Amino acid sequence: MQGTIFSIEDFAVNDGPGIRTTVFLKGCPLCCQWCHNPEGISFKPQILIKKNGEESVCGKTITSDELAEKLLRDEKIFQLNEGGVTFTGGEPLSQADFLLDVLSKIRPRIHTAVETSGFATSTIFRKVVENVDLVLIDNKSTDAQIHKKYTGVDNTQILENLQWLCNANTPFIVRVPLIPTVNDSLENLEKLSDILKDAKNLIRVELLRYHKTAGAKYYMLGKEYKPDFDTSLAPKTFDTFTKNKIKHIIL
Amino acid sequence: MNERIQNLKQYIVVEKRHHALRRSGASLGLNELAEDFRSAGMSAQERAGKTIVATLNAEIPVILPNEKIVFTRTLKDIPEYFTQAEWDEIKANHFICEKGEVFNLSADYERILNEGLDARKATATKLLDGATDEEKIFLNSVIVSVEALQDLIDRYALEAEKLGEQDIAQVLRAIRGGKATSFREALQLLRIMHFSIWIAGNYHNTLGRLDQYLYPFYSADIDNGKISKEEAFDLLEEFFLACNKDSDLYIGMQQGDNGQSVVLGGRSLSGEYMFNEISEMALQASYELALIDPKINIRVDSKTPLEIFEKGSELTKIGLGFPQYSNDDIVIPSLIEKGYAPEDAHEYVVAACWEFIIPKYALDIPNIDALSLSDCITATLPDLPTCATFEDYYALVEKEIQMRANAMLERHKNIYIKPAPLMSLMSDCAVERKRDISYGMKYNNYGIHGTGVATATDSLSAIKKYCFDEKIVSTQEMVNAVEANFEGYENLQKMLRTQAPKMGTDDDYADSLATRLLDSFGNAFKDFKNERGGCYRAGTGTAMYYVFHGKGYPATPDGRNKDEVIPANYSPSLFLENKGPMAVVKSFAKPNLKNVANGGPLTLEFDSSVFRNEESVRKLAMLVRTFIVLGGHQLQLNTVNRAKLLDAKANPENYRSLIVRVWGWSGYFVELDECYQDHVIARTDFIL
Repeated sequence: MQGTIFSIEDFAVNDGPGIRTTVFLKGCPLCCQWCHNPEGISFKPQILIKKNGEESVCGKTITSDELAEKLLRDEKIFQLNEGGVTFTGGEPLSQADFLLDVLSKIRPRIHTAVETSGFATSTIFRKVVENVDLVLIDNKSTDAQIHKKYTGVDNTQILENLQWLCNANTPFIVRVPLIPTVNDSLENLEKLSDILKDAKNLIRVELLRYHKTAGAKYYMLGKEYKPDFDTSLAPKTFDTFTKNKIKHIIL
Repeated sequence: MNERIQNLKQYIVVEKRHHALRRSGASLGLNELAEDFRSAGMSAQERAGKTIVATLNAEIPVILPNEKIVFTRTLKDIPEYFTQAEWDEIKANHFICEKGEVFNLSADYERILNEGLDARKATATKLLDGATDEEKIFLNSVIVSVEALQDLIDRYALEAEKLGEQDIAQVLRAIRGGKATSFREALQLLRIMHFSIWIAGNYHNTLGRLDQYLYPFYSADIDNGKISKEEAFDLLEEFFLACNKDSDLYIGMQQGDNGQSVVLGGRSLSGEYMFNEISEMALQASYELALIDPKINIRVDSKTPLEIFEKGSELTKIGLGFPQYSNDDIVIPSLIEKGYAPEDAHEYVVAACWEFIIPKYALDIPNIDALSLSDCITATLPDLPTCATFEDYYALVEKEIQMRANAMLERHKNIYIKPAPLMSLMSDCAVERKRDISYGMKYNNYGIHGTGVATATDSLSAIKKYCFDEKIVSTQEMVNAVEANFEGYENLQKMLRTQAPKMGTDDDYADSLATRLLDSFGNAFKDFKNERGGCYRAGTGTAMYYVFHGKGYPATPDGRNKDEVIPANYSPSLFLENKGPMAVVKSFAKPNLKNVANGGPLTLEFDSSVFRNEESVRKLAMLVRTFIVLGGHQLQLNTVNRAKLLDAKANPENYRSLIVRVWGWSGYFVELDECYQDHVIARTDFIL
């Protein structure tokens, strides 16, 4: 089976425990205004043009066998270092069949994690969750309107999946990209804390502070980075989690 | 860091107020020494002793406010004891390594601390009986040097008394002749001995296994309730700070290249991992002081607990460019294979940068020469079209390496090294043998740097793949393209740069060629004996040669343009795309590093943003450990921030304390020559 990826990075320090390799699957149904991997949005390979005019192709198709073989080369290193592989994107669940095929080839020899926006049908979402060792799930906003405005999609399905995950057996981490004036409100974080309050296998919440470099790659796609919020502001943070006995960390 | 240390740091490092006390040798008449010696027809050995006496006599005692560990240089420069004409004649008739001094060694501090100056002097005096005239001259040069040092200690003690610093005076009086009997005395005597060898003209004087030889003094004081852990830490921190007092006067290629390295931890002969409380305090002191000296090395192996790597990574995080790690699993067997006794091999330390040396017993010259492996490609490339197979071509490269190695063996004949009475005193048995250390010791091995490893490997990979395996580029076209600096061959160059197999991507195609190349390099020197009976050790360091060998250096078959820099030390090509640290570590651990373990680290650069996440410290520790477990020999890491470096270059006044790793040492970025600044910046273009 074939899938499309746009990068494989080893020693990814922010994508789960231990020493990890992160596989970036290409294509995402969301278009978050602050997206810092805009080359991961389109499902097709595309040309990137650097400032010096140099062109390169972003994205390539790869078979699940090929990818699995590549990842298994580092099996011992992952085991030695409490690490594994994290699939991110784009939205990896948008290539669920490919993802599941790769997972079946590398588990249980390698610890696996998936980072997702949660934007997938409940069937797909549940199937993937049941076939990985760790889920990193983003939560862009608990507010339906804000979510739609800034990511382009509705959050009903996302929240439903998150709620289901709270009762599932797979350990998970919730990640919130804190965007100034968009979702860095007390109200949003209170609501999120309430959803997660009694989650069975929640490891922690990671608050990822927005930083300006997010826009660095747009020009290579011939696009302009023009988000609808003030990029010069630093996001606010609130601890709405400790009271609900939820661990959290600001990154 | 307590207030006292903070104030001292402000005085020494920031305000540098003690610099005002310095005088030039010329103003004290020391420049005339050489001429006086010449007209008196004095031997080099006698001159060496008399020069040490004159310089130590010219020193004036200086006790800085709040100091406990004293001794500060007031003499800016060290007098020559040969006239220029005499030195020119010696140079014309001999091979001279660098400045012709005994240098880049780790002296026997341990013995002085444990026996004291009087006992060492008595040994020398006793040996005068029955000695030949020549031996007497040597022994006397040692004796007068020790006496001059003791005089200076006396003057310091008097000065301390005058200032009402009774504690300092008492310590000085005790160690003037006696052995150290407390941790403080040990540190004070160590400071004095280290100070004395610098002022004797020896340089790159490392501090060796300081945690091992200081520990007995520390633990005895703790056991007897003489000192608390906090007090001991305070003293150790002051000693570290003292290493920065005169370091700007120390000789090196660049400011910061002074060789004040310390080696912590390590596996003992009996298999015990020797990481003690002093090792831990040393890391903590470095972390708090955040200065370039002393430069920390940690000896580790595959069984070293992750915790040690984590402690080291905390230092990496704050951008000190150290610790540097060396792998006992590789280094010790390699040294034994080279003929070092197992008990000596287990005591190994690093020289100024990364060359592995044995304290006390050796007069190794681990950086006597450098062989550019990439240059061996350049030299043989014109003959590529005559080769029918890659094996034919590789044979030419191997022949070239051997030819250059043979030429080195010739070149290193008839070496001359200036006598060094104090270094003789601080060696295992020069005094006992009644012969200056400069004539040789138990070990007299020479080390050769191998530069351009990655450039050469990538060039070989490109040639093998495209000219021979796939045959899509003719050998003549390859030669023409490189000769034209790729002008008119842009597509070929792009393929060479971006698609050819490269060392550092965990690609066995390239990595197996690196293994082969390094084997050829090591084997070229395998059966050599130098004139002192020592062997040759090949290594993977570059020292400053990466800049020398880059500028004006023609294009190479890996797609590198003329003048484009080559990587420092044992590191991947600077234009390697998508390199991941793990792939780099895996690639660079593959070769048989035991064959080329003269020293020379894999050098990794990290952007400071990696450490935005506290958990990254542990992950970095894991990465380092992985390199060691996979059989890597040596590793140094640099945490840098490109924007900061660029701003520092433009506005140096704002970045006086910005530290970077240069080739085997950490220095202040703003004090480096532009070519070294630019190389550090260039490396960040391709950051991991």
